[in-house]
Amino acid sequence: MTEPPEAPAATEQPDPGARTELPEGKGPERPSRVSSLVARTVEALPRSVNGRAVLAGVVVSALLVLAIVFGSRLLRDYDSALIPYAVASVFLAFGVAYRYTVWVSAPGARRLFTNGWRSFFSADNFRRAPTALPKMAATYLGFQKFLGARSHARWAAHQLIFWGCVLAALITFPLTWGWFTFTSGTGSGPGYEMRLWGVKILGFDSLSFVGWVMFHGLDLAAVLVIPGAAYFLWRRMKDRGAMTGQRFAYDMVPLLALIIISVTGLLLTFSSIFLHGGGYEFLAILHMVSVVFTLIYIPFGKFFHIVQRPAAVGMQLFKYTSRQGDEVFTCRRCEEPIDTGAYVENLRGTMRDLELGFDRWAEYCPRCKRVLRGNAYLSQVKKGFQ
Amino acid sequence: MTADPHAADRRTVIPLDPSLAPPGTRGFRDAGGIPADRWHADQHGETLVPTHCCFCGVQCGMYLRVDRGGKVFGVEPRDHDINRMRLCPKGINAYQQVNHPDRLTAPLMRRSRDEDLREVSWDEALDFTVSEIRRIQRNHGNDAFGVLGGASLFSEKTYLVGKFARVALKTRHVDYNGRLCMVSAAGANKLAFNIDRAGNPFSDILLTDCLLLAGANVGECFPVLTQYVWGARDRGATLIVIDPRETAVARTADIHVALRSGTDAAFFTAVLHVVIEEGLTDESYLAAHTTGWEEVKANAAHYPPSRAAEICGIPAEQVVQVARAFARAPKAMAFHARGIEHHTQGVENCLTVINLCAATGHIGKPGAGYGTLTGQGNGQGGREHGQKADLLPGGRSILNEEHRRQICEIWGIKESELPLAGTSMMEMVWQMQRGEIRGLIGICNNPFVSLPNYSVVKDGYDTTEFHAQFDFFLSETAANAHVVFPVTVWAEDEGVMANAEARVVKHNKAQEPPPGVRTDTWVMCELARRLGAGDKFAFGGSRDVFDELRRASAGTIIDYSGITYERLEETGGIAWPCPSTDHPGTPRLFEDGTTYHADGKIHLQVVEWHPPADPYDDEHPMTLTTGRTVAHFLSGNQTRRLGALVEQTPRPWAEVHPSHGFRNGEPVRVVTRRGSEVFPALVTEAIRPDTVFIPYHWPAPAAANALTIDALDPRSKIPEYKVCACRVEHAERIDEVPAPPVAPGHVAYPETQVSRTDPLPPTAPQGRGTSERS
Amino acid sequence: MMGRTIFIDPGRCIGCQACVSACRECDSHRGKSLIHLDYTDEGHSVASLPTVCMHCEDPVAPCAEVCPADAILVTADGVVQEADTTRCIGCANCVNACPFGVPKIDLQAKLQLKCNLCYDRTAYGLAPMCATVCPTGALFYGTVDELRAERPGVEVADTFVFGESEVRTGVAMVVPAERVQWPVPGGLPVVEVNGKDVRR
Repeated sequence: MTEPPEAPAATEQPDPGARTELPEGKGPERPSRVSSLVARTVEALPRSVNGRAVLAGVVVSALLVLAIVFGSRLLRDYDSALIPYAVASVFLAFGVAYRYTVWVSAPGARRLFTNGWRSFFSADNFRRAPTALPKMAATYLGFQKFLGARSHARWAAHQLIFWGCVLAALITFPLTWGWFTFTSGTGSGPGYEMRLWGVKILGFDSLSFVGWVMFHGLDLAAVLVIPGAAYFLWRRMKDRGAMTGQRFAYDMVPLLALIIISVTGLLLTFSSIFLHGGGYEFLAILHMVSVVFTLIYIPFGKFFHIVQRPAAVGMQLFKYTSRQGDEVFTCRRCEEPIDTGAYVENLRGTMRDLELGFDRWAEYCPRCKRVLRGNAYLSQVKKGFQ
Repeated sequence: MTADPHAADRRTVIPLDPSLAPPGTRGFRDAGGIPADRWHADQHGETLVPTHCCFCGVQCGMYLRVDRGGKVFGVEPRDHDINRMRLCPKGINAYQQVNHPDRLTAPLMRRSRDEDLREVSWDEALDFTVSEIRRIQRNHGNDAFGVLGGASLFSEKTYLVGKFARVALKTRHVDYNGRLCMVSAAGANKLAFNIDRAGNPFSDILLTDCLLLAGANVGECFPVLTQYVWGARDRGATLIVIDPRETAVARTADIHVALRSGTDAAFFTAVLHVVIEEGLTDESYLAAHTTGWEEVKANAAHYPPSRAAEICGIPAEQVVQVARAFARAPKAMAFHARGIEHHTQGVENCLTVINLCAATGHIGKPGAGYGTLTGQGNGQGGREHGQKADLLPGGRSILNEEHRRQICEIWGIKESELPLAGTSMMEMVWQMQRGEIRGLIGICNNPFVSLPNYSVVKDGYDTTEFHAQFDFFLSETAANAHVVFPVTVWAEDEGVMANAEARVVKHNKAQEPPPGVRTDTWVMCELARRLGAGDKFAFGGSRDVFDELRRASAGTIIDYSGITYERLEETGGIAWPCPSTDHPGTPRLFEDGTTYHADGKIHLQVVEWHPPADPYDDEHPMTLTTGRTVAHFLSGNQTRRLGALVEQTPRPWAEVHPSHGFRNGEPVRVVTRRGSEVFPALVTEAIRPDTVFIPYHWPAPAAANALTIDALDPRSKIPEYKVCACRVEHAERIDEVPAPPVAPGHVAYPETQVSRTDPLPPTAPQGRGTSERS
Repeated sequence: MMGRTIFIDPGRCIGCQACVSACRECDSHRGKSLIHLDYTDEGHSVASLPTVCMHCEDPVAPCAEVCPADAILVTADGVVQEADTTRCIGCANCVNACPFGVPKIDLQAKLQLKCNLCYDRTAYGLAPMCATVCPTGALFYGTVDELRAERPGVEVADTFVFGESEVRTGVAMVVPAERVQWPVPGGLPVVEVNGKDVRR
């Protein structure tokens, strides 16, 4: 790795810290060809990937700062107690933009990125199948049907975490950015008004059900997240499949972080209702530290899949649209379908980008590759026992 | 591989999901009958129960994984010295039988075959069985009721089958399915050595310089033994394989003799001819340790290689090659299996191999010797302790006055009460057809698939007035019975088996049987009690039976008296004879050149080759031979229900040479004088052009044994499975494989049966490649 | 060069598919068999070829290189892991790029699956399930020295040639002594490039 530690290249080792936890007795890491390839690219074009990534990070975080400033009506609505959260979210924006840029600069992702967005913006596609994209987004990103095929329990637990996090994010980000304000005409309720960017969205009675939900949205989110994360944690301590190759920093920390955030958040409510604020200060700091840590961790650990997962929709949309027009590409030897023609061409392009000299081999199905290799071994290496 | 790969893609509506993927990359249906996401392995609370495989005569060691709830859920390799952690696909999947949804959990009964089987209580089933036994025996004599045992039972249970028939039922008619297996070898061993077991342990194979495998598809029927074969070759041994098919082991053999089925005696006698001609005999050994050599020698003179070449359909040079390789080797071993035993001259075929070994002095030395590879798990042990028609425990003869007296004393019965010798399994079926046997109890066998000439077998069983069957899955035979007793699988009881080396190994109990299931021991003892012989059957379990078995075998050739469960657990297995608890057992026989005949000599026998029973003519010019495939075991009642094995080999095929003009997968009708059936063709150059091969694990209408001939060896009474006359024809439709029978109200576990009817062609005798599955 | 790894010898394979069943018993992917067993000489002989992941070392893991989601991790000991379940988007790039035809894909679960050298076992010094049960030694797990202890003088090769490209792998194949200097043919049916015979 030639890159500075805060700027990892888009290799298969995006978080070196997390990925070095290996069983004892294993040898040192070998130089990866991908990383050296990227390193060469970085040397040749010093401003290319790294530069663009930094630029993207700076632009996105600057935009976020502007959005905070203007969204809170030039900080008039800003609650200074939330400054650490806001700062962390700016770091998050930088990290995500940076990592995203690095990620989509690698050959495999770049080509898919281009093709995915091309399909997305194709008016032709839209006319032919206007519902395809929303349907795909709903199944992959919302209901995550594919997880059900892995295991029903994992699907259920992930849905709990997912919806809990979505709810929490919808509430907390606008709050910490000073976009939401809750004001009361009467000073201390029960009639409240919720305002976005200073504009009144709705008014509600804090003692009504809606009011209760409005004020306890984060508690609800915590109640959703805790059982989901607890299930995954339990599974990681018990299931041998899950435990294989499991790394603490990559697999355990995110779950622990979610649980700590949720539990401290709930305890804050508990403290204010039942303990009359006892221990509130300490809990608030603990909660804040865990949230800030998690936000900064997002771009570099397991949580980056949140940013990556929409690529599944892009990939699926690309395959779907190319399949509508194209002939299916069949194996040169057995004539069984491999995938769409556009997909195979895309893959070959990726392989050429990576200087993998056997991209023609992609025109054979895996079985024929093995059979041909077996035949070659029989006829050219040895036929029999010795 | 669908007929038209593009068919799916021409649909106007393209599904959003799933997308395409090449064949063989996306199939996970082979999960073995359990939905893949339910296969969990928890880190905690797992115990490993050491035991052995329930299947073939190698008896590989394995651990069964038992969860905290006491249920068997997996398998783990075990470093037992028989198999050194190696397992075959059958062994790996064996554990899935234990908690299989197809298990029988309540007795099934019907009063006539017009009714359907229904679940009844144990009392009702036992009472009905006892009343039928009494009725038939009262009206037609004790011998009108028969018992057929099995060689996959623990030795304790095989002992009990013989005792149950003779003491509780007082019938002469008891036999077992080992009659279809290796009785020819047993007969030859008794004639030549007066001891019925292989002479050398498997480990001797590693020491040999020349290994001859005759009619033994080691790679498929005893896969784990292959490591010994390869180990010998790594140390420079020559491998000779005698087989009409180029099997996986034959493919790379130094000499592969693809002779015509049914000509083994001619071949081996011709090899002996060359050995004599070239002066390669061990005359001093012959003089010191054999009788009958002069006669054998004179007879061999009539079998020059040219004659063998003509009879066997092979080049004459191969006879010379084999003779030189075998006789010149400092140490040579010969193993044979069903390939030379399943013949009307099965015993004689084995004797020709013994003659060859004796003439070259390759007997009773480390790395030199002779043996048979038993097919069933307890193929060796099952024939030792009295479930054979003519044998009593300890290999005693039922016709020998002294032996009868000894056993009557142990069993506590009068000599007049002990019946005489009965008839063999196939003969019993004929007697059933003739009404001489009117009632039958079958334990651990499935003759509807395993006996030859299915129509005769079906007729025989249909003619019986009463038929009860013990099994843990409803076999094709059990589905035709009046009463079916649900019994334990091997992992739910303890007991011993003797493997092909005559090494006695201990199987341990890994889980409690499901509710409603009893051990075979309990059922036999309970029936005996109700028949009034309860005092002779007061056994609490296998341990009690084994103690009596040890006493009953003490002092005989097959002496188990020094073998105890504790010793077996300590040692990992002891080869009999083992006359005392401080005796180490006898892994290798004849080390000092003496046999178990009174004169201590090997009694060489003259063998005259004769053609098979089913004559060739213009209508039936080809040879049909049958055998096993690696994924299935015997009648398939167990393995046809295990998803992974069904995926690997979903159905039988007819293996034909390309010269007959079939394309792979095309329907081919195989016609014999017994009937005809249509199989998909597996077209391969790895079979003789005059031969058709069909594996026999499936029931009619896809049964090889609907075509085979029920001709028997006059001595061993083994049927001639390995050769009958046939022809092949083009046909329209392939005969479907029926689903395995299950208890009323159930369906055969669908997850395991998906590929049974799929139309894909076979790809290799060992099964379909992992990518050639739908 | 090679540490503990799998050595494949198709010459001893009897095609029994014990490895296929055993693979399913491996705890890290229980219920799913990831090894391939092909009968490569169909119609002529019963020859067969088991295929486990070859754990390519140079270029390191083409499957990981073509992965658009950075889902395939190569551990420090050279084991190419199966796709990370949180990242894999099920695009099948790895399935079709792998020169050995190894990865499989669960289309419903949008998840690639492949041999990970039974990482749950090998990480603790146990042999992978397939090589543990293989009745013939066609799949052998250990060091070259351990292999030679079983099979004196045996030679292995870890370089494969596909057209003009070579791939060096972590898993090796047994070759006759006189072939040990040559790369093993990868099977890519290339005859000539620009009129020049490129077969070795």
